[in-house]
Amino acid sequence: MTSRPAKTSLLFGIVLVLALLLPAAGAFAGVLAPESGGGTPNAEGIRSLYLLIFGLGCIVFFGVGGLIIWTLVRYRASKGAVAVQVHGNNRLEVGWTVGAALLLVLIAIVTFLKLDQIKNPPNSSASGLATPRNVAFNSGPATPAVPPNGHSLNIDVNGQQYIWRYSYADTDTNNLNNVFAYEQMVVPTNTTVSLSIRAQDVQHSWWIPELGGKFDAVPGYTNYTWFKISKPGTYSGQCAELCGRGHATMIASVKAVSPAEFKVWYASQKAAIMAAEKQAATARNALVAKDAAALKTAPQDAAAPSAPAPVAAIDGKKIFVAGVPATGALACGSCHALKDAGTNAAVGPPLDVVLKGQSAAMIKASILYPNKIISKGYAANIMPANYSATLTKPQLDALVKYVNDAVNGK
Amino acid sequence: MTTTTAAPSKQGIPEIVTNSAAPRPSGWLSWLTSTDHKRIGIMYIVASWMFLVIGGVEALLIRLQLAVPDNTLLSPQTYNALFTMHGTTMIFLFLMPMIAGIANYTVPLMIGARDMAFPRLNALSLWLFIAGGIVFYGSLLFSPAECGWTCYAPLSETAFSPSNGVDSWIFLVHLTGIASFIGALNIFVTITNMRAPGMSWGRVPLFVWTMLTQAILLIISIPVIAGAVTLLLTDRHFGTHFYDPSNGGSPLLWQHLFWFFGHPEVYILVLPGFGVISEILPVFSRKPIFGYKAIVAATLAIAVIGTLVWAHHMFTVPLPFYLLIFFMLGTYLVAIPTGVKIFNWVFTMWRGAIEFPVAMLYSIGFLATFLLGGITGIFLATFPVDWQLHDTYFVVAHFHYTIVGGAVFAMMAGLYYWFPKMTGRMMDEKLGKVSFGLTLGGFWITFLIQHSAGLSGMPRRVYEYADVNNLGLYNMISTIGSFILALGVLLTIVNIVQSVKKGAKAGPDPWRGNTLEWFTPSPPPVNNFDIVPRVRSVEPMQDIRRQIERQDRVGDEAGVGAGS
Repeated sequence: MTSRPAKTSLLFGIVLVLALLLPAAGAFAGVLAPESGGGTPNAEGIRSLYLLIFGLGCIVFFGVGGLIIWTLVRYRASKGAVAVQVHGNNRLEVGWTVGAALLLVLIAIVTFLKLDQIKNPPNSSASGLATPRNVAFNSGPATPAVPPNGHSLNIDVNGQQYIWRYSYADTDTNNLNNVFAYEQMVVPTNTTVSLSIRAQDVQHSWWIPELGGKFDAVPGYTNYTWFKISKPGTYSGQCAELCGRGHATMIASVKAVSPAEFKVWYASQKAAIMAAEKQAATARNALVAKDAAALKTAPQDAAAPSAPAPVAAIDGKKIFVAGVPATGALACGSCHALKDAGTNAAVGPPLDVVLKGQSAAMIKASILYPNKIISKGYAANIMPANYSATLTKPQLDALVKYVNDAVNGK
Repeated sequence: MTTTTAAPSKQGIPEIVTNSAAPRPSGWLSWLTSTDHKRIGIMYIVASWMFLVIGGVEALLIRLQLAVPDNTLLSPQTYNALFTMHGTTMIFLFLMPMIAGIANYTVPLMIGARDMAFPRLNALSLWLFIAGGIVFYGSLLFSPAECGWTCYAPLSETAFSPSNGVDSWIFLVHLTGIASFIGALNIFVTITNMRAPGMSWGRVPLFVWTMLTQAILLIISIPVIAGAVTLLLTDRHFGTHFYDPSNGGSPLLWQHLFWFFGHPEVYILVLPGFGVISEILPVFSRKPIFGYKAIVAATLAIAVIGTLVWAHHMFTVPLPFYLLIFFMLGTYLVAIPTGVKIFNWVFTMWRGAIEFPVAMLYSIGFLATFLLGGITGIFLATFPVDWQLHDTYFVVAHFHYTIVGGAVFAMMAGLYYWFPKMTGRMMDEKLGKVSFGLTLGGFWITFLIQHSAGLSGMPRRVYEYADVNNLGLYNMISTIGSFILALGVLLTIVNIVQSVKKGAKAGPDPWRGNTLEWFTPSPPPVNNFDIVPRVRSVEPMQDIRRQIERQDRVGDEAGVGAGS
């Protein structure tokens, strides 16, 4: 029954695998340990903790593995071999139970010692970017990653099918005017960068291997992590939680540049965004002017100023595109896409899709009570809930009629 | 069915004469209507191996797609459907029923019972499992689920998975879940009530102990996943918002419920494997198991602690910090009884006279493979390290090492070990050894390198990857290994098919086994045992053999021995 070839081939196989792995260790950076190299303390901490467990794991694996092989060779059945009929050995069994426990206590202790370096962000270096106080607030079970002096560059990371959006916090409280970028995040070196990680549709996971661990972007929650890069360069990663068919292509990268270069990039990005917004505003104003001209030529019923103007006279499209600045009614088109109006903003759901087949009453209710019915994947409290105050009844009716006609046909 | 009367013979000595005997049911209908635990066990095993082939082909397609970087062989939709079906199939339609089949066949025999406690419920379990498989694969006709076997919400909600694939997945979980739940109750009642005279808890075979523990784990965890998928079903079709964050629901609720089942599920899969190993190692080392009580205690400890560590699958979601610490330390605790078992197994072989039939080779392959799977588990239990490794190919490698190493190899060992009992014929040892070599070698080539792929930044469940950090090389090695592994499994299937008809006759006890199943003929009669011997130790067959030897000796001395 003894099979020498099987044993020899097992031994040979193990030796072969080792022989393949050992020379490879130098040439292949990630073959035995997670990546690092951005000089951010958390990734370095994780790597050194990993290497400690790796060392202990190797000792256990080769120790126990060697014991198994030696046992198989030494005690294989042969002529005259007699199996010793023992049922156990309490001392030995207690021994290895305690031994295993001690090994784990050791790993736990080192983990706790390393935890500060991995979890808590340090202050930015003097050579880093001077940042305002981080205004990240604790909104969930996880705690924000804020350095001891409270100053860090706070970037809001928003995962969506299948792209990452980064929004850079500034000093004012309005989040709509923040500088933003997609896919590639540009950050200053030697500066503590705190990330608030969110998702707007399904779950995603933020992961740049060289900059430390991954943190899931869960819809309805905010997750936090940080990094502080000392080496300029581009660090790539990708979404690490299955998010649909485009999961593999949802890539991300972090480009670390000197604080001076960062300031230049930040200013140019801001200018580019403002230019684009200005262009959009010009287009909007042209539409408004065209509508105003059309209104002037329309007959006015001066005799009855208190009577509601006929619905036809009020241009629903104009309200949709430009809002009513006088009363503070924001334009629908600045957040919603609608083919007929030529808007393609994506803050709110595309109306051609979500209002298709809905009644006029339902459209009206959606405008007046935006938090009652929310399209999947969109958060509450984003759309203003004050249209009942900022629009007159005729204006509202005109708007509803316009949207209904635009989506569902006249 | 059989009426017998005592008819006086010519000499006036009463003798038994059969007047009429209804013919034994035969043909395929007798299998479909059978409530015999042995037939049900065999049907479980055959059906599960059909699903193994399907799940294996899916795995090979996955590996083909990943063989080279930026491959365009499969579309993302097909790829996502494939890994969803592969994971679901291997867990719910191969491993669970394979274990159920082996347990169905052997547990009543090992405890000296004539059938399971509820034979008809037993048949119901089998057919519910098969119905689950059909419902799930029915989704091939429209579009299968693409959300992975974990089916995380909100990806699995209608807004993001509008096809009915997720619904068929939900019904698969329900149907196979009910099958497992009923099966677990049946196993539990059988073991607690139907043991042979003298088989006190200290003499119950270790495989039976692990099946008892597994039954308890199933009874605890199956209702939770059933509830979770029911909530998903109402979210998808009846307007509820349990997992929908924009209406006050929580995606984390799904994850907690899923992993409260999902982690015990790991032990549901590996504990029976531990049991099989604990039966086979002593037999072929010709030694009693080392530390019977410690192994039983470790089994129970793993089950208790294993039920309380589910959130180590969730270290990267927003959780309070103290929970990360709690679940890390809890997971470390599971490693202790697991380590105890490995040492007990090694010391069972220590100072033995070890033989190497294929069943033993698989058991040794199990030891080496599971050892590495256990060690990489410590990496993942340490949550800062898990932040790097979570959801990468390191995790894929880890759970294949534990589940294939811990459960599949053990079940292969069990198959080679109990095949002679089930069919009355031996499997081909030579072919078995070739198959074992290819399976073990192929497995290590496929999955060892996947640790490196994960460490080099490759997340799981991606249908393509860029050729950075040598990912192309790692994946090519892995793909080559997967085909070697598949060839190994194929040879075992060939071996089974050949041996059923042409294998050497086994006799009742080809291995000189320790437990009661080797007391009856192979294959056993419908009623299993004509007489059930009194059990006096964990190894009743050893006692019986010793007793026969003693009687022979006494007989020899008296000059009327068997030889004279």
